[in-house]
Amino acid sequence: MMITDPAAQQKAVTTSRISLSGVHKRFGELEVLKGVDIDVEPGEVVVLIGASGSGKSTLLRIMCDLERADSGAVWVGGVPLHDRKRAPEIFGHVGMVFQQFNLFPHKTALGNVTLALLKVRKLSRAEAEERGRAALKRVGLADKADAYPAQLSGGQQQRVAIARALAMDPAIMFFDEPTSALDPELVGEVTGVMRSLAEDGMTMVVVTHEMRFAKDTADRVVFMDGGVVLEQGPPEQVFGSPAEQRTQQFLHRVLDT
Amino acid sequence: MDWSVIWSNRELYVSGLWATVLLSIAAIATGTLLGLLVAAVRTSRIPVLAQLARGYLEVFRGTPLLIQMLFIYFGAAYLGLVGITVFGAALLALTLYQGAYIAEIFRAGIEAVPRGQWEASRVLGLPRIQTFLSVILPQTRAIVLPPLVGQYLSLIKDTSIAVVIGYVELVRQGQAVIDRVGDPGTSYIAVAVLYFVICYPLSLLVRRMERKAVTA
Repeated sequence: MMITDPAAQQKAVTTSRISLSGVHKRFGELEVLKGVDIDVEPGEVVVLIGASGSGKSTLLRIMCDLERADSGAVWVGGVPLHDRKRAPEIFGHVGMVFQQFNLFPHKTALGNVTLALLKVRKLSRAEAEERGRAALKRVGLADKADAYPAQLSGGQQQRVAIARALAMDPAIMFFDEPTSALDPELVGEVTGVMRSLAEDGMTMVVVTHEMRFAKDTADRVVFMDGGVVLEQGPPEQVFGSPAEQRTQQFLHRVLDT
Repeated sequence: MDWSVIWSNRELYVSGLWATVLLSIAAIATGTLLGLLVAAVRTSRIPVLAQLARGYLEVFRGTPLLIQMLFIYFGAAYLGLVGITVFGAALLALTLYQGAYIAEIFRAGIEAVPRGQWEASRVLGLPRIQTFLSVILPQTRAIVLPPLVGQYLSLIKDTSIAVVIGYVELVRQGQAVIDRVGDPGTSYIAVAVLYFVICYPLSLLVRRMERKAVTA
């Protein structure tokens, strides 16, 4: 979905590259990230896997400035997120899809998708709705524009959330366990949309427990353990012949259940 | 009891009722605005402002409205701050006092909205104030409206305290009738009935909203 957006082009977000080095983060006594280095190339689909508490969600939230690293360099889309003054430049130029959808319950699907187009991009209502409908169509929900979140299934809600992010024409899409709150039979429709985004060349960083998605869609799988990147590589390598024992144990656990 | 006394003095009651309604509407508007502002500041995580807001709340909830009104009206005169009218002093005191309660009602509503709503808005690029107005506030409606209207009821009745600084409202006019013709029983019943006539529809409104909130 290529929609030109003059406002976006003027902004500092000029690339889809991500580069993190030496990232530390602690919550009180708990050190969640203990020095993470990770790079994502434009168009790459990177899937972060690891046990809960391994720091993968925190890492993702740092990449979209919902958390701030205690130390280290965080470059996302050409914006230095470690620079407090410049970090907000990222907002409106990357997309985030949450586990709990976080749709606006008082707005229709179309209202959710158009809010930021109206208030941030300052588009006219007609332009915003045109783009909003295009985004809903992109996730297969053109006919649900007037439905409220409560009237939609979990899978549909998450697809609206994806459309809401896509409508902003983001340089990068982040997904934080996008299918973890869904009934098993609804997972496929969400991963299906994500797969087609990947095929269109979207730069994506995905935290997920869906190993099938990681296997068949990721360009690179990153295994995190105890706040560090323990192992990474193409899915065939990480799933097929993991080098680290911790990776083997983790994969054994998640693939057998 | 002689009910004809009420009818023959109806102009006094009507002018008193009007003064009460005027002060009530004005104080509802300013008190709500102040409460919203204070709640926004308290939930903004700007430490200095949040502390200031808290101090305001403690002072104005911890002292009687009567004292606040007396202090504002007579205190202002004592400090040489002339020019404050009786209406202005009554409005200011009611706003500050009720604003403190209204702020807490709004705060409860704001804090009931999941944090994810702020986060989603933030990544979309919505400024904080815009998020507050277009995303958070509309979602507080079901939680906030019933207690808010309840607070308005208490505000309306609190306007009677303005009698102490000489605001001529419903209670004062009721007393004026008593001064003229005696019969305090009848006159005070008339005053009470007139308050009830203003408050009861609001009370019904609260009940309807609460029913709707449950079924929604």
